[in-house]
Amino acid sequence: MFYEREINLNRSEEANKVRGFLNSLGLKFPEGSEYTVGVFYGEEIVGTGSLAGSVLQGIGIAPQFQGEGISARIITNLMKKALGKGREHLFIFTKPETAAQFQNLGFKKVAEALPFAVLLEWGGQGIDGFKSHLMKISRNKPEGASCIVVNCNPFTMGHRYLIEKAARESPWLYILVVEEDRSLFPFHVRFRLIKEGVKDLKNLSVIPGGEYVISSATFPSYFTREEDLAAAQASLDLEVFSTHIAPPLKVIKRYVGEEPYCPVTSVYNRCMKELLPQKGIQVVEVPRLKIGVEAVSASRVRELIKRGGVEKTRELVPESTYSYLVSPEAREVIERIKRSSSRH
Amino acid sequence: MKLAKMSIAGSLESNDALITIQPVDKRGVELVIESIVEKQFKDRIEKAVRQVLKDYDIDGVYVRVQDRGALDCTLKARMEAAILRGKGDLQ
Repeated sequence: MFYEREINLNRSEEANKVRGFLNSLGLKFPEGSEYTVGVFYGEEIVGTGSLAGSVLQGIGIAPQFQGEGISARIITNLMKKALGKGREHLFIFTKPETAAQFQNLGFKKVAEALPFAVLLEWGGQGIDGFKSHLMKISRNKPEGASCIVVNCNPFTMGHRYLIEKAARESPWLYILVVEEDRSLFPFHVRFRLIKEGVKDLKNLSVIPGGEYVISSATFPSYFTREEDLAAAQASLDLEVFSTHIAPPLKVIKRYVGEEPYCPVTSVYNRCMKELLPQKGIQVVEVPRLKIGVEAVSASRVRELIKRGGVEKTRELVPESTYSYLVSPEAREVIERIKRSSSRH
Repeated sequence: MKLAKMSIAGSLESNDALITIQPVDKRGVELVIESIVEKQFKDRIEKAVRQVLKDYDIDGVYVRVQDRGALDCTLKARMEAAILRGKGDLQ
């Protein structure tokens, strides 16, 4: 008989068993998993799957046990775990050749970047719900709009410079803010600082990126810095952008800041310049604003906070961001920055 | 009556069904049925599901049934479990 149980990831013996099993299938154990389940036949592990946020990952089944309903068991187990944590909209990244297996279990295809990967989803409003939401936003806005996707961790003069230029050159500008809360500044703060920082510009909308804009679902390596995976996942993310996000917003141009520092983001920019024009979306890469000798970036701002303190950032951020940084509300975030070694 | 929260019952294994139910802001029942035997049994599945909702007097709900060939009695049991969990009566 088969039975399933949680794998205790803190016990190296257990974790290694899963790791070894996935390796034997030519798969890697996915980092960032918070929960892992194993299906066993006697002592032998015959299937596994993990959960990271709303992403089901690291799913593998021993070939000699395929067709025994093991993937159904794993998926059910992970769904229940996710739902128990209040996550009702789930994603799977998979190779194109295994997508059908998950589609049979009720997952729907969001986008595919052949030959690398397919993104599937289950539950929530789904991609069609998000599209009609975007259509409502753009209903009375002009055609031929532009778009910028930003994290703004936090909002700097560099972002302001890019946004100003894009707004000046476009009939309308949509600023899509990465919604996922894995950055040092929480989403609600990032979002508010952007709104405050651009409120004098009239032809733009700032909108939450939802779950389809560089979230860990569409682009997980943005958060783990694995550059080899980045190209494949960037293609998938851009596929989502060009088929599901740009059309309902009537967007024909995407602005992006040049990326001299972060290797993952620079791979992303390169893919963008290659893929989006094929879909009829022009890419405008804008050189970074320089203050002093160095380019202004959010990571430079965080670095300054980390080393010297908030006062050092004064000329790099707009007034709205600065007054947040010196307010009591920011204390906790600043403490986190000082302790952190993350780039994001 | 309305459910307190989203809930799930059953499984995606053969001869079972996975039921997801969720309170929504409008009245009525929004029902999505996906079944491996949809052609033959969709009506029957719908009837069984609606009956349980009626028995428990549930309204303003979204129900998704992922049927893997469950018998009527299994479907009903899964529906009941989902409803009781959704009401907060069952863990």
